[in-house]
Amino acid sequence: MSTRLLEDHGQGGADAPPALWDPIVRISHWGVAAIVLANGVFNKGGGTLHIWLGWIGMALLALRLIWGVIGTPEARFSAFPPNPKAALSHLADLVGGRPRDYASHNPAGALMVYAFWAMLCVVIASGLVMTDGVSPMRIADQQAAVAAGDWSVLVTEDDGAEDGNSGEEAGEWIKEMHEIAANLLLLLAVLHVAAVVLETRAMRRNLVAPMIIGRR
Amino acid sequence: MTKPRTTSGKQRGKPAALAGVLVIQSVAAVFFLGDSMSELWHDPFSRHSLFEAVVVTALLAGLAMGARQLRQTLQTLRTQDAAIATASGALAAVIRAQFTEWDLTPAERDVALLALKGVDTADIATLRGTASGTVRAQLTRIYSKAGVSGRAQFVSWFVEDLLVEDLDPADPDPNSPGASESLAS
Repeated sequence: MSTRLLEDHGQGGADAPPALWDPIVRISHWGVAAIVLANGVFNKGGGTLHIWLGWIGMALLALRLIWGVIGTPEARFSAFPPNPKAALSHLADLVGGRPRDYASHNPAGALMVYAFWAMLCVVIASGLVMTDGVSPMRIADQQAAVAAGDWSVLVTEDDGAEDGNSGEEAGEWIKEMHEIAANLLLLLAVLHVAAVVLETRAMRRNLVAPMIIGRR
Repeated sequence: MTKPRTTSGKQRGKPAALAGVLVIQSVAAVFFLGDSMSELWHDPFSRHSLFEAVVVTALLAGLAMGARQLRQTLQTLRTQDAAIATASGALAAVIRAQFTEWDLTPAERDVALLALKGVDTADIATLRGTASGTVRAQLTRIYSKAGVSGRAQFVSWFVEDLLVEDLDPADPDPNSPGASESLAS
């Protein structure tokens, strides 16, 4: 009689995605989403706020990538390796009927995640090049100095040394890259939202709740 | 009656707070790093740079430790939840199996489960929309099928196992393998 309670009752749903993503995943997800939307749609100009938000986005991305190595099991890269073949078969499952469960992002979602990260890296890197990697704090310092009448802070060592023509050309090219990558990010976001809607219907499961508060 | 069997809300808030601090820390670290990078790069051994290097190191170390702490907290919470889920799932399975073994009718199973949960006879009648006389009769049949004298013994029939399992590790003589079996039989 005493062994009855020790019988194996199977850990049902061990392969299901988490009922609630961990806080780092959630904060970085919504933080980056808000920043991409803000900087890509409402605040395109490249002003001080644009740069501030970009730097915050860079911090969130860095934290998420570190979390991908040392974080919770489902947040680690090893839980959702990029696998185009599996992604295709998942999409086929999605069309054909009820797809199976995965312990982390599904293979198609995983590809989306890596695409997002790659595009974010391009946007952030090109943005840094466009601003010479000057941090928002330094920009604020410069603006304060200019406001006080000291224009000399705007002259940097690079300005004189650089070959005007090719530098400008490279600058245009970087700017182009920044804009294209940003537009691709927005396109990916639209695709991502559409995929979540489709998947929610096919799986008959709320996929959004685990990313917010995680009510089952 | 339907209180959620998960870890308390107070403990739930801890990872969220830790994560919030971690996010602010990493934003601060990236901004500070970006701000001091050029200085560190151009003049790595000036007093100012050395000081900034110390601050950067401290920030990064704090970040790493915060992340580790957060992961451990999340892991602890999950282990606790899993243990509770396993225990309650296991208990539910045991109860179901035992009800079948006792040959309870569907109505009796309902009543028996409510009785196990501590709902009193009048409330069971209200919940099931029957007379309390009916419930009393059903309870009597359940007790006789289970071979127990009343509700207290009926409940302890299921609790007994848990207590036996709990006492096992404290067995004063671990070298006698037959001890737990003879206790439980």
